[in-house]
Amino acid sequence: MSLFTRKVEQVPCTVEVSHRFEALHAHVRFNDGSTIEPGDEVLVQGPPVLAGWGEVITEDRTAVITRANALERLWTRLTGDFEVMELCEFSFSEEITL
Amino acid sequence: MNVHATTHDELAAEMGDSFDTNAMAQESTLLNPRFYTTDFDEMDRIDVSPVREEWDILIAQMKSDPNKGHFKKTADWDEVDWDGMDPKLKRELVDFLVSSCTAEFSGCVLYKEMKRRGNNKDICELFNYMARDEARHAGFINDALREAGVAVNLGFLTKAKKYTYFRPKFIYYATYISEKIGYARYITIYRHLEQNPEKRFHPIFKWFKEWCNDEFSHGEAFALLMRTDPKLTQSFTNKLWIKFFLTAVFATMYVRDHARPEFHKALGVDIDWYDQEVFRKTGEIAKQVFPMELDIDHPAWMPTLKKIERAFRKMEAAEKQGGVGGKLAKWSAMASAGMGFARLYVMPVKKSTPPASVRLEPAY
Ligand SMILES: [Fe+2]
Ligand SMILES: [Fe+2]
Repeated sequence: MSLFTRKVEQVPCTVEVSHRFEALHAHVRFNDGSTIEPGDEVLVQGPPVLAGWGEVITEDRTAVITRANALERLWTRLTGDFEVMELCEFSFSEEITL
Repeated sequence: MNVHATTHDELAAEMGDSFDTNAMAQESTLLNPRFYTTDFDEMDRIDVSPVREEWDILIAQMKSDPNKGHFKKTADWDEVDWDGMDPKLKRELVDFLVSSCTAEFSGCVLYKEMKRRGNNKDICELFNYMARDEARHAGFINDALREAGVAVNLGFLTKAKKYTYFRPKFIYYATYISEKIGYARYITIYRHLEQNPEKRFHPIFKWFKEWCNDEFSHGEAFALLMRTDPKLTQSFTNKLWIKFFLTAVFATMYVRDHARPEFHKALGVDIDWYDQEVFRKTGEIAKQVFPMELDIDHPAWMPTLKKIERAFRKMEAAEKQGGVGGKLAKWSAMASAGMGFARLYVMPVKKSTPPASVRLEPAY
């Protein structure tokens, strides 16, 4: 991994979007087993995957993974923790006055 | 996680035929979860042997899926008079539903990711069940939103996402507290509405009892995870972290709940009373694993929370004002919120010793 330059990889992936009463979820799986490390950026190519009501869509797509360079990775590891309160957003709204 | 409103037409145009016309959506909301990584190797090394017996019982219970049939609309789901509802209340109710849906959804994303990346059979099994529950909860709320004319847009997948990083222990503390506080919030509203059924202005509250039991078990799982490594709750530094998380979560909840006055008024709930009630239950439950409880009856507790809440209001007003004056006012408000938080943080805690057996059953 380079200190300053970012590596870009194209990876086959499967996206699954469920927009049903029983489950609302949306996930991306990398078919070749690629894993994401802190600071990496992922962009699934193509038009938005939009499931209508009652639909589950499973589609093969290509994802572009922009790998963080060593500095960014270190930075994300050091500072990511500051955002940890995001995990506590149970039924919170962002605004103070609605 | 951020929720962005997109225009109804924009979504309808993008979706074409599959657009949810039945929902008669007047507005749409783009769910935009954050994506996280953590130290997956460290999580793989978790060994649940010290709590194996209790672990297996909990996992068996999750596997049996006691709430499978619960999230269905039955005759109990009565019609909501959206048009007759006071617009301010409607706005806050929709905000409540959207943010709850977002929270459930992001829980699902996080748990699914942990299941995917892990190689530890016990851990993967747990996260699989929890992701299942959260997707189900999100689906149920989404349906209530459809009725309100709000369509949820899941188009975020094709937008660039940067993955941030949290240490595993921070995930344990934060998600443990948020699962348990989620339980306490849901059950407190449920019990209140049992006493005051005329205040139940939306049927979703009737589902809160079984619902919160799911959240309760999720919390139990994190309690067991933390018990596998005593350092997580006993080392000096970690005790400071635990106190930090409890204080931060409680203070955030207080500030955010006060953003929904109409919602709470319609429920017939005094926000200060409700929040204290939720803190009390959460604190009591959390003694199962945390060696302390925040002293929410300390004479300075409530006044300091109120001060923080006022500071947040000022911060927002200053932001709207803009300009140099707005900046200065914002800094001053931020400083006073920070000082308020520091005041809460240095307040002495009530120390306690977690019981030998960690497992609890929902008791409220
Ligand atoms: Fe949930
Ligand atoms: Fe949960």
